[in-house]
Amino acid sequence: MAADFRRLIQDSREMTRRSFLAMAGWLGFTAASLIALYQSVRMLYPNATYEDPPAFKADAPGAYAVGSTTVIIDKRVVINHDPNGFYAISLICTHLGCTPRYFQDVTSDLVLAGSSISKDPDTGQQATKADPALPGFKCPCHGSRYFRDAVNFFGPAPRPMDRVHIEVARDGRLFIDRSVIVDRTFRLKV
Amino acid sequence: MRVIRAAIDEMYTVIGQMVGSVFRHGLPLTDKIAARTALTNFVLHIHPVRVRRSWIRMSYTLCLGGLSFFLFIVLTVTGLYLMFYYVPSTNHAYQDMRDLQFVVTFGGLIRNMHRWAAHAMVITVWLHMARVFLTGAYKKPREFNWGVGTLLLLITLLLSFTGYLLPWDQLSIWAVTVGTNMAKYAPIAGPYTRYLLIGGRVVGDNALLRFYVLHVVGLPLVGFLLMVVHFWRVRKDGFSGGL
Repeated sequence: MAADFRRLIQDSREMTRRSFLAMAGWLGFTAASLIALYQSVRMLYPNATYEDPPAFKADAPGAYAVGSTTVIIDKRVVINHDPNGFYAISLICTHLGCTPRYFQDVTSDLVLAGSSISKDPDTGQQATKADPALPGFKCPCHGSRYFRDAVNFFGPAPRPMDRVHIEVARDGRLFIDRSVIVDRTFRLKV
Repeated sequence: MRVIRAAIDEMYTVIGQMVGSVFRHGLPLTDKIAARTALTNFVLHIHPVRVRRSWIRMSYTLCLGGLSFFLFIVLTVTGLYLMFYYVPSTNHAYQDMRDLQFVVTFGGLIRNMHRWAAHAMVITVWLHMARVFLTGAYKKPREFNWGVGTLLLLITLLLSFTGYLLPWDQLSIWAVTVGTNMAKYAPIAGPYTRYLLIGGRVVGDNALLRFYVLHVVGLPLVGFLLMVVHFWRVRKDGFSGGL
């Protein structure tokens, strides 16, 4: 093959018809194979998935009392209503993507076992021997724990869970878009 | 320095052993090495060590058996790709087929390759059978392989029939309704056969799943095993051409 190419470049008359046709055949075969390879990989990239769309509507803001934590497990979203406003948490563990669960007390077993729990940098809350129980999230896969505001404090999770965009839709209900990640200071005032 | 050189030598030995374990006979420079390679290599063992020109005259076999096998491979590969997008449930099947045609990039190409290769395989298998019959190649000592061949024809037709239901459009539902009702006319066993075949009394979810499993696993597996025997017998009984 290589010698045939060299001969073709030097002087095509030095090449026999037979080896030219053989070379053209192999070139065509190679090109067709490469195209088929591309097609067979490209086909496996879906152009449409039928997954749940990232944006959805929850209830009207009045349905969420101040200080409440509401887990919408089907959407993997948490709506927290604090005195200074609403914010939504994407309920996806930042370790490896499982769904953490909400518990009224995620700290007292650790406190009583003697481990010190760091202060929540956002709320300033800290579990102490005197007041060991704080609500939050525990991940069932590898035991990561988060405070109620999604800040991680225990286990392999490397960072707080993402906050996602929340607004009041035109019909008065809360509108949450899981594809838009917002700052940790984001609050929706209603 | 000496240590490094020894390590490099050792590395070359290991690489040489690895390459030698795959290419065990070296280049087939002599007839003896070529024969030994063909005899001991799994991929080549189906091929005779020596082939007479008269055996492979194209005007004798018309390559029909080889074409059938080639189409079987095309169908296996394209079928595998279709399986990535197709869900065998009455809620999804038709939509998935439409998506393959109109949404998935190259999906229409793969589906049409599967469809036309299936039609072509039915044709080439029939023609292969006709050729074997007309040249008398089914006669002694090849009666057994003729029998295996008829089973392969049956497998081909059953694959064609089971695949026909999978798009789950009106044509396929009623074709299978008609086809399985024909099976019902068999004396005594008829109604039981139909109930077993479609897993119920009407062509529904059970029928689709059954036909799917038969189409993608059951029948191809049986067909493959029969093909292995079929090709092996061709080698052992010798080629009929030029006799």
